[in-house]
Amino acid sequence: MNVAQLFSHDNIIKNILIKYNQYQLPNGLTVIHHFDDSTQLCVLNMLYNVGSKHENPNKTGFAHLFEHLMFGGSVNIEDFDTELQDAGGESNAFTSNDITNYYLTLPANNIETGFWLESDRMLSLDFTQESLDIQRNVVIEEFKERYLSQPYGDVWLKILPLAYKVHPYNWPTIGKEISHIENATLEDVKAFFKNFYCPNNAVLVLAGNIELEKCKELVAKWFEPIPSQQYTKPSYSLEPKQTEAREETVYADVPANMIVKAYHMPARTSNDYYAADMLTDILGSGKSSRFYTELVKNKNLFSELDAYITGDVDAGLLLIEGKISDNITVKDAEKAIIDLLEDFKLNGIGDDELTKIKNKSETNIRFNDMTVLNKAMKLAYAWVLGDIELVNKEIDHYLNVTKENIMEAAKNIITPTNCSTLYYLSNHAK
Amino acid sequence: MLNRKEAPFATEISGIKIKETVEHTFQNGIKLYALNAGNEEVLKLDIVFNAGAISQVYKGQANFTAKMLSEGTSKYTAAEIAEKLDFYGAYFQAKSGTDDAVITLYCINKHLTNCLPFIVEILTDSIIPENDLAILKKNTIQNLIVNEERNSFLARRTFNQSIFGNTVYGGYSTKEDINKIEQNILVDFYKNQYQKGIKYILVSGLVNDMVIGTIANNFDNNLFLSNERNNHNYQETIFEKETIFVEKPNSIQSAIRIGKKLFNRNNPDFREVQLLNLILGGYFGSRLMKNIREEKGLTYGIYSAIEAYPNDACWYIDTEMNNELCEKGIEEIYKEVKLLRTKKIGQDELRIAKNYLLGSFMRSIDGPFSLADRFKILKDYNLSYSYYYEYIEIIKNSTSESLLELANKYFNEESFTNVRVGAKN
Repeated sequence: MNVAQLFSHDNIIKNILIKYNQYQLPNGLTVIHHFDDSTQLCVLNMLYNVGSKHENPNKTGFAHLFEHLMFGGSVNIEDFDTELQDAGGESNAFTSNDITNYYLTLPANNIETGFWLESDRMLSLDFTQESLDIQRNVVIEEFKERYLSQPYGDVWLKILPLAYKVHPYNWPTIGKEISHIENATLEDVKAFFKNFYCPNNAVLVLAGNIELEKCKELVAKWFEPIPSQQYTKPSYSLEPKQTEAREETVYADVPANMIVKAYHMPARTSNDYYAADMLTDILGSGKSSRFYTELVKNKNLFSELDAYITGDVDAGLLLIEGKISDNITVKDAEKAIIDLLEDFKLNGIGDDELTKIKNKSETNIRFNDMTVLNKAMKLAYAWVLGDIELVNKEIDHYLNVTKENIMEAAKNIITPTNCSTLYYLSNHAK
Repeated sequence: MLNRKEAPFATEISGIKIKETVEHTFQNGIKLYALNAGNEEVLKLDIVFNAGAISQVYKGQANFTAKMLSEGTSKYTAAEIAEKLDFYGAYFQAKSGTDDAVITLYCINKHLTNCLPFIVEILTDSIIPENDLAILKKNTIQNLIVNEERNSFLARRTFNQSIFGNTVYGGYSTKEDINKIEQNILVDFYKNQYQKGIKYILVSGLVNDMVIGTIANNFDNNLFLSNERNNHNYQETIFEKETIFVEKPNSIQSAIRIGKKLFNRNNPDFREVQLLNLILGGYFGSRLMKNIREEKGLTYGIYSAIEAYPNDACWYIDTEMNNELCEKGIEEIYKEVKLLRTKKIGQDELRIAKNYLLGSFMRSIDGPFSLADRFKILKDYNLSYSYYYEYIEIIKNSTSESLLELANKYFNEESFTNVRVGAKN
């Protein structure tokens, strides 16, 4: 019996629905509410639609540095974290190419503290030179710890400028270089806040054990009085189609040779995005993936070999990244990847293989949706993508992908002239 | 007019309810603990064995056996097993820790019936093929070499070796140890530690009668035995403080770990020391973070933690900082510990720490898998749920005076081992 028949797609995911309410305040702030009383907690997630791609190319790393400053005290509140902790809460934030996202979790009874804190730092920050000086140092240490002190830590600093010649994705969120962070001034910081940190450039999500009425009341109390702002989104150019194979070789004190191949792929909002995502699942996700079974296990050419996508809002990258086994030459290892990809493009995928990755998608979505924090972030991000209902529709996008779609994605994306290759080689092998 | 200067009223955290497990005993004696919580149809099945490093004869034996479990049975190859479990969207994990080994299956409810036969197969009929073992050895060595480039990894390893000596908690496999691992010693370990019985099974998620029934169908039979007891002997080493510098030329940052041997959850002071540790370095608002990151900008992160095991424990402060400024940073660390011993913690600081810790406990029991983790801790230390309810009371009743006493009793900075990995200054 063909097991695939047991799981026709009709009975996959019918009952996963994230229910939510959505409305907008007169000042332009979008509010999304999701009720879940299986938890004693409540999450407040504030997403500002600004990321490193909105930075000035000569002042990179700014969005992320700014994220740090958001914890340095606001106009009426000296110490954000202390006040939050006093109410039993915890918070954090992250910055990506596209967005800056702040979240806090509190015992549901104390959620108003979150409203107070988050609205005050939207109103205005307490800009001090001292706070800037310290956070600059912290971020510089972060730069060193994550990008310079780790073996292979600077791969992103190398591969992005190779793949992007025009689009601001050509620098990582942390910034192009430490000097950009060192040179940030208080004036820069104020201007950045004024332009991007306004209610009409943000979405607020309340998720957890909070009723809609209560949520509305608190939103009106704390966020409605904040005035909207005129703001300008810096314009930037999209990356033109790459037409020549690019490569770069670097040497470092690392134990093993590494190869990274980066291909341009469709934007997050494109219909073709899903097929490309599933293509990397087939190639590189899990112990039954093509890469693992063929190149890690059978031929033992790599100690690890992964395929993944960046998932950026604008056209992003599909990456293949592997550490090459000791006695294997880089050229042989690369040829094996290319041969496997060509064979894949020629011979396609089986029914079971397709069902398998669809089943994986379902598992991933269900496990992701277990916590209110994840659901809150997913709602906020769907807003950035322009369609909140994506949180419920996305699964269908995955389930509707056909074998042909995936083959087409492979044929369009996996071509030599669409590829930037980084050979990250060990000094020992020199 | 809205008063933004004053914090809204916040209540003291109370009435925390912990969802408990339900115990089932199979005919063959195996205990199944079921934790039904949450509203997603997801499951996590943990099958626990007395197969941690503490039970091994050779270094790496326990870890490699766990990793080899899914690498082939007499019926299926490694690729076939992976293919089947992936097909049902499931994730399989075999982790051998210091004291036990946990085999975990993550899947959604409707696929449990299809997945379990493969788990049974893995647990009763693994053959540990030589060829797959050779690849695993090679890749593990390569990983180890990459890790040895990380100052933070070296600091942790050096520290644990100093604190726990040549016991299971200080034991790390070297390249040579890994090279020495042979198929037959893994087969022995499999026979003695896996096939002689299951310690217990823990299932969490949307656990209904059907789930219990499916697990019973697969495990309540004569293929499996129950083996709750671990009959190893742990010989604690005597702790002596050391100052160790491991030179890594050209390092931009130094990795630092400072600390000492401590006691585990079975000691009555443990829970209040958790609060003391929190204040020093256990959260973002801790003294170490405030002073060394937020005031001086010397590091991206610094924290302190208690690392507890069923037979032993240690406590440490860990950070990575700018190589040139690390002497200053270390000095500040010692100053903070001394302050903890010499001056009573202020009322505001104590209240905030307590509130944060209780809120954080609430987060740690949110959702079925978190609840399962809390339950496993109770099993590891032979405790009951009252341990957590008492914890809440101990935290609430702790005072500046009692914390000062604890700091003096346990955290004399003269007694610390100090490890730095980085470049010479």
